[in-house]
Amino acid sequence: MTMTRAEVQDAADKAFGQSELAPDAAQSWALIAEMGWLMMGVPEELGGLGLGREATGVIHQGVGKALVPGPVLAQMLTIEALAAADDLPERDALIADAMAGEVMTASLAGGLDGADRLTCVPDADTASHVLHVTDDRVALVPAEQVSVTYREGWDKSHRLFDVVLEGPGLTLARGDAARALADRIEALRLFCLAGDSLGGAEAALAMTVAYLETRQQFDRPLALFQALKHRVADMRTQLTAADALFWSRAQQADADIIALGALKALACAVYRLVAEEAIQLHGGIGLTMEHPCHLFLKRAMLNGALGGDADHWDERTGRAALEAAA
Amino acid sequence: MEGQALTDALDGLRQEVRQWLADNAPHGWRERSSSEAAFLQIQRDWFAKLVEGGYAVPHWPAQWPGGGRSLAEQKILYEELARADTPRLLLSFMSTYHAACTLFEWASEEQQALLIPRILAGEIWCQGFSEPNAGSDLANVRTRAERVGDHYVVNGQKLWSTMGQFADKCLLLVRTSNDGPKQAGLTYLLLDLKAPGVIARPIHQIHGDEEFAELFLDNVEIPVSDRLGEEGQGWAVAQSTLSSERGLTLLELSARLRGALWRLGELIRAQGRQDDQGIVRDFGRLSAKVDATCAVADQFLANRIAGIERVGDASIVKLSYSRTLRDFTSLGIRLGGIDAQYHSPITFGGGMETGNWMADFMNSYAWTIAGGSDEVQRNIIAERLVGMPREPKSWTLKEGAA
Repeated sequence: MTMTRAEVQDAADKAFGQSELAPDAAQSWALIAEMGWLMMGVPEELGGLGLGREATGVIHQGVGKALVPGPVLAQMLTIEALAAADDLPERDALIADAMAGEVMTASLAGGLDGADRLTCVPDADTASHVLHVTDDRVALVPAEQVSVTYREGWDKSHRLFDVVLEGPGLTLARGDAARALADRIEALRLFCLAGDSLGGAEAALAMTVAYLETRQQFDRPLALFQALKHRVADMRTQLTAADALFWSRAQQADADIIALGALKALACAVYRLVAEEAIQLHGGIGLTMEHPCHLFLKRAMLNGALGGDADHWDERTGRAALEAAA
Repeated sequence: MEGQALTDALDGLRQEVRQWLADNAPHGWRERSSSEAAFLQIQRDWFAKLVEGGYAVPHWPAQWPGGGRSLAEQKILYEELARADTPRLLLSFMSTYHAACTLFEWASEEQQALLIPRILAGEIWCQGFSEPNAGSDLANVRTRAERVGDHYVVNGQKLWSTMGQFADKCLLLVRTSNDGPKQAGLTYLLLDLKAPGVIARPIHQIHGDEEFAELFLDNVEIPVSDRLGEEGQGWAVAQSTLSSERGLTLLELSARLRGALWRLGELIRAQGRQDDQGIVRDFGRLSAKVDATCAVADQFLANRIAGIERVGDASIVKLSYSRTLRDFTSLGIRLGGIDAQYHSPITFGGGMETGNWMADFMNSYAWTIAGGSDEVQRNIIAERLVGMPREPKSWTLKEGAA
């Protein structure tokens, strides 16, 4: 690895750390492409930076922290699939376009039901291609072969579409290779959603603490009330533990889908807790549109639903733990 | 070592430990340890065996026998010990962690050369920090030590000394001065519990077991040579002991928690509840929490080794563990159903491995109270890590209150 986690972190902080929350979509997309973030996971022989899961984790935490809009996660899933498609003659050109910022999108909801209808596909109206993953075939379907329907969500940082596939597109993988690739894409989706959630929770907690330190009630800052400090300490503790698990999984190249699903469920639970507490601790202002509290809550709720919810992953984790205990 | 070589070496250690445990782990110890004498014998025998095998003190520095294991090696060892369902070293836990870790940091070479080998030989230590009026508020310690020539004369009472009734030695926090800030008047002594004037009385806990003792000290003489640090430095020395408790010991405990998940799995199957979606989900959520607790303990130790530990980091580890342990033992009670509500004889000894879910659940409160309650940890986290303002110092007691 040519860059350390700290270096990527530094770059991420410079890119989005100083800007306001939920920055402009077009500008952030250009910035993400310019910073080379879409090249991070791509092997060096394909023109990428060949950085591992840690760098990807830093980026998604950064994106979550600033509530960056747009299709960055969907784009990374597509790039991951393209990098694996070594039989595809036009692969190198497609990867180069994708890394340069041409939007290629994918479903964030996941699911391998083989249907020709995809849900939760970000920015499908401006995408040149849509990734289609099933258990026995992974394909990249060009815009001409899809029809898209906008579905307005509560979380405005994602523009989500239903996509109906009307052509076969380019085959990236089939059979066993497709199954393996589907697993890799699902693993990446879960890991990145966990990162986005932990980044968001970190920012929401920092915003809440800053508010408690300045807001006066009953002649003292709210931050002096032990009842509130203890709630902050509980959030800090749960967030630190989930973050430690995130970086530990980032270093385990062989962490399976269930381990990452458990991580994602835990990270989303922490995000939701912090986002809810943020609203409560901000009081009335936290309930308004003009204050950013609601942006965190809405993204936390969406992240919780994408890629399989907590019930789904808790159950699979429980089954796996039962098997391991046998 | 890197990558594959490291993985191979760790796999090798796991196989080695597993084989050693297959040959040496005690069997039927729960059934055998229902009397105090039997419990003590089993604990002493198992500790001696682990010392002999080189597995008793993997967290010690490399210069001591059995020490010098990496964190990754320690974790494997603790997981395998839990998986083999061996008794946790409750009796010697304070000796090998709290006492040894404090001695490594503060004792002179002479003190170390004398005391450390005795720990390996089975000498038992306890901790004399808490008092009737100074639980989590250690600055309030009142047990008094007066220097007379080359020894101190100590008078006072200590409470909540884990295993104090069976111990040989005690890490003792005393007051040598009332001048200046409360913390600056504290001194750290090593007390021989066989000394004249010491009375140890066991305390019955809510499950009927006697894991703690109170110590009464009446004109007890302690040589000045048995002091750690300088006079008045006791607060700083005590922080080492507490930090070992809040951080280092939790590497073992959290790895053992992960190693013991199979006990819940076995219970789910024994109750035929493997298709009960609610139970399976709760088990899954608990297992993710156990993983996160292990990860945060690992991170804490890595930061300590790298010298970037912050005040409050250890509190996060302790709070994570205490809450996860509560969830762990609660699920055990739930799976035990009505049977878990009937009183059954307690296997002497605490932790989550007694085989008695209600006792383990009640014991989990020791973790949310002892060593600085969860509330004290929350204050430390909010003030020291998050940077929130400290409580104002001024207050007045209600008229008529003590």
